[in-house]
Amino acid sequence: MPERTDPPGLSNGVLLRLAFRNVRKSARRSILTASAMTLGLALLILSRTLADGAHESWIDQGVRLGAGHVAVQGEGYQTSKSLDDLLSAADLDGAVEALGSPQFESRVSAYAPRLTAPGLASSTGSSVPVLLTGVDPAVEVEFSPLDDLLAEGRYLEPDDRLAAYVGEGLVRRLGLRIGSRFVVTAADADGQIQGQLLRVRGVFRTGVPDLDQSLVHLPLSTAQDWLGTRGGVTSLAILMWSSRTAAAARRELRDLLPSRGVEVLTWTETAPELEAAVKIDDLGDWVFHGITLAIVALAILNAVLMSVLHRRREFGVLRALGLTANETGRVVIAEGVMLSVISGLLGIALGLGVVFGFWSDGLDMSFLMDQELEISGSLIDPVMVPAFRIAQIGWSLLFILFIGISASLYPARQAARIDVAEAMKFER
Amino acid sequence: MDVPCSRARHPGLLARAASLAAVFLVLASHVSSAQAPATARDIVDHVDRLLRGESSVGRLVMEIETANWSRHLELEVWSRGRKHALIRVLSPRSEAGTATLMVEEQVWNYLPRADRTIKIPPSLMVGSWMGSHFTNDDLVKESQLIDDYDIEIAFEGDRDGVEVWEFELIPKPEVAVVWSRLEYQVRKGDMMPTWARYYDEDGAVARSLQFSDFEVMGGRLVPSVMQILPADKPEESTVVRYESIEFDIGLSTDFFSLRNLRTAP
Amino acid sequence: MTSGRIWGRIARRNVRRNRRRTAITVGALALGFVASTVMIGLSEGIVAQMIENGTDLLTGQIRVHGPGYEPERSLYSTLGGRAGVDLDQMLAAIGGVAGIEAVTPRVYAGGLVSSGEETAAGILMGVDPELESSVSRILSALEQGRLPRRREREVILGQVLADRLRAEEGSEIVLVAPAADGSMGNDVFRVVGVFRTGAAELDAAYVLLHIEVLQALVALDRGRVHELAASVDDVWSSTEVVDLLPAAISSLDVEVAAEPWTRFRPDLAEYAQLAASFNWIIVLIVFVMAVFGVANTMLMATWERRREFAVVRALGAPVTGIVRTVVSETMVLGVVAIALGVAVAAPIVFWWSQAPPDLSWIVGDFTMAGALVEANLRVEPSVKGPLLSATGLLITVFLAGLYPAVRSARQRPADTLAGAE
Repeated sequence: MPERTDPPGLSNGVLLRLAFRNVRKSARRSILTASAMTLGLALLILSRTLADGAHESWIDQGVRLGAGHVAVQGEGYQTSKSLDDLLSAADLDGAVEALGSPQFESRVSAYAPRLTAPGLASSTGSSVPVLLTGVDPAVEVEFSPLDDLLAEGRYLEPDDRLAAYVGEGLVRRLGLRIGSRFVVTAADADGQIQGQLLRVRGVFRTGVPDLDQSLVHLPLSTAQDWLGTRGGVTSLAILMWSSRTAAAARRELRDLLPSRGVEVLTWTETAPELEAAVKIDDLGDWVFHGITLAIVALAILNAVLMSVLHRRREFGVLRALGLTANETGRVVIAEGVMLSVISGLLGIALGLGVVFGFWSDGLDMSFLMDQELEISGSLIDPVMVPAFRIAQIGWSLLFILFIGISASLYPARQAARIDVAEAMKFER
Repeated sequence: MDVPCSRARHPGLLARAASLAAVFLVLASHVSSAQAPATARDIVDHVDRLLRGESSVGRLVMEIETANWSRHLELEVWSRGRKHALIRVLSPRSEAGTATLMVEEQVWNYLPRADRTIKIPPSLMVGSWMGSHFTNDDLVKESQLIDDYDIEIAFEGDRDGVEVWEFELIPKPEVAVVWSRLEYQVRKGDMMPTWARYYDEDGAVARSLQFSDFEVMGGRLVPSVMQILPADKPEESTVVRYESIEFDIGLSTDFFSLRNLRTAP
Repeated sequence: MTSGRIWGRIARRNVRRNRRRTAITVGALALGFVASTVMIGLSEGIVAQMIENGTDLLTGQIRVHGPGYEPERSLYSTLGGRAGVDLDQMLAAIGGVAGIEAVTPRVYAGGLVSSGEETAAGILMGVDPELESSVSRILSALEQGRLPRRREREVILGQVLADRLRAEEGSEIVLVAPAADGSMGNDVFRVVGVFRTGAAELDAAYVLLHIEVLQALVALDRGRVHELAASVDDVWSSTEVVDLLPAAISSLDVEVAAEPWTRFRPDLAEYAQLAASFNWIIVLIVFVMAVFGVANTMLMATWERRREFAVVRALGAPVTGIVRTVVSETMVLGVVAIALGVAVAAPIVFWWSQAPPDLSWIVGDFTMAGALVEANLRVEPSVKGPLLSATGLLITVFLAGLYPAVRSARQRPADTLAGAE
């Protein structure tokens, strides 16, 4: 039989309208299938936003107690942790000045200079090893979570000289009260042992025994005098509004500061365990998403296939009327994609609605936890505040399309291969 | 994780006690020259200077009783001014040669068995010295008595038939000591100290020193026995008894070196 | 009128009728089962790892001290006070308690470690190398060299400490520690090995040596130890085992304070509970989604057969019969899906529990709740995972079949046969 040339095909617009009409017609079936997709995506959005929010919170908590999202330190301090590798007063000023420039203004939330050294705290009764941190009270209140964990007394104030902010555990072991005196001893910048008198002005409780026994905050100027650092500090910790801007900020700051004697580090280097924890959690999440979407894809496949198999006669008629196999296939794919897109968008909307409607202030998980939980040294806030990211929506839409298309491929092939004559035998 | 420190003995001080004795010894010699310094602080300061002389060397016996051990040590003590001291253990044999050197507020220990000298880090500063109720920290702090405290006469008069002064010492505002207050009693007649008390912030006595057995040694009247008594452990004590002491033997600061720490000078 | 067996045959025939659809449905269910099982296994794997690292590494699951030892950890607070204990008897008594796997004694002292150039504060830990390995894994963290021998002044150091001291295998170091008789214990030792646990607080501060050698350094008799650490057969039975201890040692007339790891590491126990509660959520989520897929299928299937049901009804079959047939069909699907799921999940679980794929090239190891977590996909095989998943699946399948079943049962035969859609 001679090959006949195909007549000009139907335009995509017509195919789409056909697809849309089909979807609308089998409304109930569509809705049922759509539910799977809607639910799946809603869950995806839910878990991603909560997880992103939780991670940001972990990082935030961790870097506040630690070295900030970005840290400016003396060269070699990260490994030696010794007062030999201080950030000099001049370099500190340089860094602060650099941070004042407009490029950082919108991204930097706060910065705090710290002088950290290990030492011994003694009272008349006993002595306990501690980690001393000289802080600038005015800045530190914005930076560190410790002042919020106040149990008694008050946090340090700018005019304090001998005030110390200590943990409950330390107070108990040394037999101290608010106002009590105690002496801290440490090796200064020249390696000589020096003592310093301090008075307890405030007591904090983190719930983590190690922190409650060993952290001591004292005024930065007092610490500098005591340890003879001549205005130097061990680090300048910088807090960004979002942890994602840290890498860029580090690069820019690196360029503005002298290349010798100064190191600029991001939190991934100063708190690698924190980064690892986030990554592992993310990984688990992606695995979960993968599974979710696989199941949704199967559901969609199932639904589209069903609908095709139930409309054999209809497709047969269409083919008899001139619709090509290829066009039939495309209609089915269009149906599948449409179904996916509608239900997917609904899912996204549902997910966002639920998350930000109910839990925009945070989902409080503390009913699950009696104790404080810590990851890689930073306290976990039991309240999970969701974080919204455009990229997330983008990925979700991509998934929807991907699922829609791939799930419809097989049914489309089936539809295209319908034998017209056979199809007429069916009722529908 | 904590480095478990041995429970800090109530900080006592060997040389501080010696200095105290010195303080009041000089008072004695000074009285004989019929000059009365003006304030309490002047008295104490003057006395401290005179008693230390330039330098001194002495032999003493230390008896220590604690819940965990009884120790009997024989020591040789060299000192110069307020900032140099060298203490060597002579007995028991197992510890002979162990020595402690203090120079300008830094402390080193020589350990004969390991044949090693170590500089005392903060974690060991507050630990007990040779198992007594002293700490290395006391060694350093004693020399700063005059600088660190404001001294006043709290009582002057008769106690049990003896004319005494009782001094009250309050640490100056930013001085790094754990005591909130010190009290001393001194006999007016021979300027001998009788006791010293160290108070914590609740007003309770944390430890006390007792002086007794006053004798003439090295040409001066001294309390040859000093006891350190921790307040919360009445069965425990450290008792120091001077067997001999010489003053002004012409030591220079060079004498107090790490080399002399290792081998007997 | 019709017996159950007939419904069974009808059900099986229906299932076979549309293979492709059945296959897809079963596939989706099986996937859900596998996913749920594996994820629960992963979650348990992380918890098991954490507990192991938190307890196996050093502390053991049970620790026995003299009363008052914590929190100051004073050198003088040995078990049995100054008199000490008969160590062999204690070890035998505790080792004999049901549930205890092994016991080992430890001595701790805080002191200084000094190489020629540097001095650092350290925690000196005296262990019995033979007994220790049955309780903790710290000795297996040895990376270079060998373990200290009895009666030899040999030590092994943590990697970070060794670096800081610039010491290595073969170096000479001096240990200085206040001794129990008031003297200053000091002696020269040789570094015979370096260990690396990955836990910073251990690698940077611990010095391990033979227990009798440390006792000699700090003037403690052989019977004076600070701690007896024990491992148990079942981590979760630690509390019960601890309760058995006082009876076991009553004849020895020694006062002790014994704790299970759930008491001295409550944060680990907490995390384990948290993880367990999430298992439910995983199952719920996976199967809620599966419900929709299956429900759709069943609706299709029953729709197709409405005529058939109408005829059967008209012939006198009771409504319940229809329901039963539909539901049993779905249950069959469920069972097949479980079988398939188990067949797929079992090798995965086996593989990932014996040789978990290592993820540390993506991330390093990290600590959570103070315990080291290794970055791998380790699965803890247990009955819990498959059981929960199977239950979830069957419930899903039942519910998914119920709605269409009830719907089709309520169709009026006359309407259907008349051609109403």
